[in-house]
Amino acid sequence: MAGIQWVNILISVGFLVAMGLALTLLLVIAEKKILNYGDCEIDINGGKKKLTVRGGSSLLSTLSDNSIFIPSACGGRGTCSYCKVAVSAGGGILGPIERPSLTDDEIARGVRLSCQVKVRSDVAISIPDEIFSVRRFRATVVHKKPLTHDILELRLRLVEPPVIDFTAGQYIQLESREYRGREAVNRAYSMSSIPSDTGHVELIIRRVPEGICTTWIFDILQEGEEVSLSGPYGEFRLTDIPAPAIFIAGGSGMAPIWAMLRKMRESKDPRPAWYFFGALTQRDLFFVEELRKLEGELGNFTFIPALSNEPPDTPWEGERGLITDVVRRRVPDLANREAYLCGSPGMIDACVRTLVELGVAREHIYFDKFA
Amino acid sequence: MKQSPEESAMLDNFGPSKFSGDGFLGTDQRTPQEIVIDDTLELERAGMVASVIGRSLGVFFDRVRQAMGAPVEIMPGVTASYHESRGVIPSPFRGEGAFEKGEVAVSGLPGFGDVILTRLSIHLIERHGFFQGRGQRYRIEPAAALMLTRASGR
Repeated sequence: MAGIQWVNILISVGFLVAMGLALTLLLVIAEKKILNYGDCEIDINGGKKKLTVRGGSSLLSTLSDNSIFIPSACGGRGTCSYCKVAVSAGGGILGPIERPSLTDDEIARGVRLSCQVKVRSDVAISIPDEIFSVRRFRATVVHKKPLTHDILELRLRLVEPPVIDFTAGQYIQLESREYRGREAVNRAYSMSSIPSDTGHVELIIRRVPEGICTTWIFDILQEGEEVSLSGPYGEFRLTDIPAPAIFIAGGSGMAPIWAMLRKMRESKDPRPAWYFFGALTQRDLFFVEELRKLEGELGNFTFIPALSNEPPDTPWEGERGLITDVVRRRVPDLANREAYLCGSPGMIDACVRTLVELGVAREHIYFDKFA
Repeated sequence: MKQSPEESAMLDNFGPSKFSGDGFLGTDQRTPQEIVIDDTLELERAGMVASVIGRSLGVFFDRVRQAMGAPVEIMPGVTASYHESRGVIPSPFRGEGAFEKGEVAVSGLPGFGDVILTRLSIHLIERHGFFQGRGQRYRIEPAAALMLTRASGR
C-alpha cells in the first residue's frame, strides 16, 4: 500500500514539475515571438552616438551591454535613483516607482530612471558626455593607510584597463564583495589622486557604522587583493576661469579637493585659493603637513583648518567654530570668487547660504553633495 | 498567517538588501504590520500619534544637522550630533523614493542610551507609524521618540 502511495506522490510531483517546465518554455517562446520588439535605435545626445539594439530590456542594462555605464547602486530595482537619464522620445509612461525619485523640474525635462524604462521602440536620450568615457576596471589594493581614527586612504593600482583618464573632482563606483551575509554593493567615492597618475586611483573613505561597503573596506579587504570599480563619473571640477577659489570640505569630503589642489600645483595654477578644512577635533584632521607644504608650493594658497568641537583647554591655536562662521571671519568679501564644496547635504546647504550672503554668485558655487 | 503575493513582495523589501545590511526588522519575529500595531497602541496610551512624533523628529534632525557634526545639547547629559554619509537609502515601501544617509546620533537618552535617527527612519515613523524591528540599529522605541520629541521641543 505504502509503495503505491509513494509512486502516486512521485507521479504527481513529476507531473507538476513537467507542467512548470512546459509553462516556463511557453513563456520564453511567447516573449520571443509575441513580445518581440525587434531592433530598436537608441539615439544619444542628438545623434552623437546611435546604437541599434534588441528591444525588450531596460534602458540601463541595454546601455551597459553596449559599454555605456550609467551609475547605479541598486541593480536596477528603481530604488537608488542614481541612474537618471533625460529621455526625449520613446521612453513610455512615467511609472509609479520613478515618480518619488524625480523632482517636478526633472519630470518636466523628461528625466527618467533608466532602469525603469523599457526599450520597446526607438528611444532618444541625453547623457553627460563624460559617461562615454566610463569604463569598468580591475585593480589591486596597494595600501590601506589610516588617516584618522575613522578615515583611511585606499590606493589602488589599475590592472585592466591599466590606465584611467579622469578630471580632478570626479568619482568612481567601487564594488564590494559578499561577506558575512551582506550582498555585494556599488558605492560612490571621489578620487583623491592626481589625474596624471593614470595607473592608480586613490580614495579617502570614512567608516560608516554598519555600512555595507565601508565595513568591507575597513575590515575585510586586504592589501594585494583584487577589486572592481567603474568610472570616472561626475561633473564636479575646477573651471578654467582663473577666479580666486574658496574650497570647503572636511572628512572624506576632502578627496576631490585634495585632487584639485594637487592638480593646481602640478599645472602651476596661479589663481589665489583658500582651503577651509572643517573638523570636530584635532584627531579628525589629516594631511595637515602636506597642506602646509602646499602653501609654500602654490604661492597664493592659504590653508585654514577649523575645529568645531575642540576642548577649550587644548593648545590648539587655529580657528575654532563652525566652518561657515570661520569663512565669514577670514574672508568677509567673497565677490568675484568661485567656491568648491564637498560634503553632506546639510554642510553644503549651510555653506551655500553663507557664501551667497558674502557675495559669491550662486552660479559660481560648485559642489559634490553626498546624496 | 497567509500572505498575499503583494504582502510577500513587500516583506522582501524589509529584509537585508544592498542598502540595509540588516534589513528593517532586525531580530524581531513580528511582521511590519504587527510592529506598527504594537507601537501605535503604545503611543496611543501616551496620548500621541506617530505622525506628530515624526514631524517633530524631522525638525530636531534638521537642527542637529545644521551644527555640521558638532554636538548639540538636548538636555543635561544628552547630546546629539550629525554624522555624514555619502549616498541614499530607499524606503522599504516601494515608490517612496530614496533618503539621504547621514544620521543623527543621540547619546545618553535616559533609559534608552544611544538612539540613531535618519531621514528614512523619521519618514517611516511619520508616514507609516513604523519604528522598525527590535534588534535593528535604527529601531527607536516609541517611548524614546516621545522623550526626544518633548526634550527637543524645550
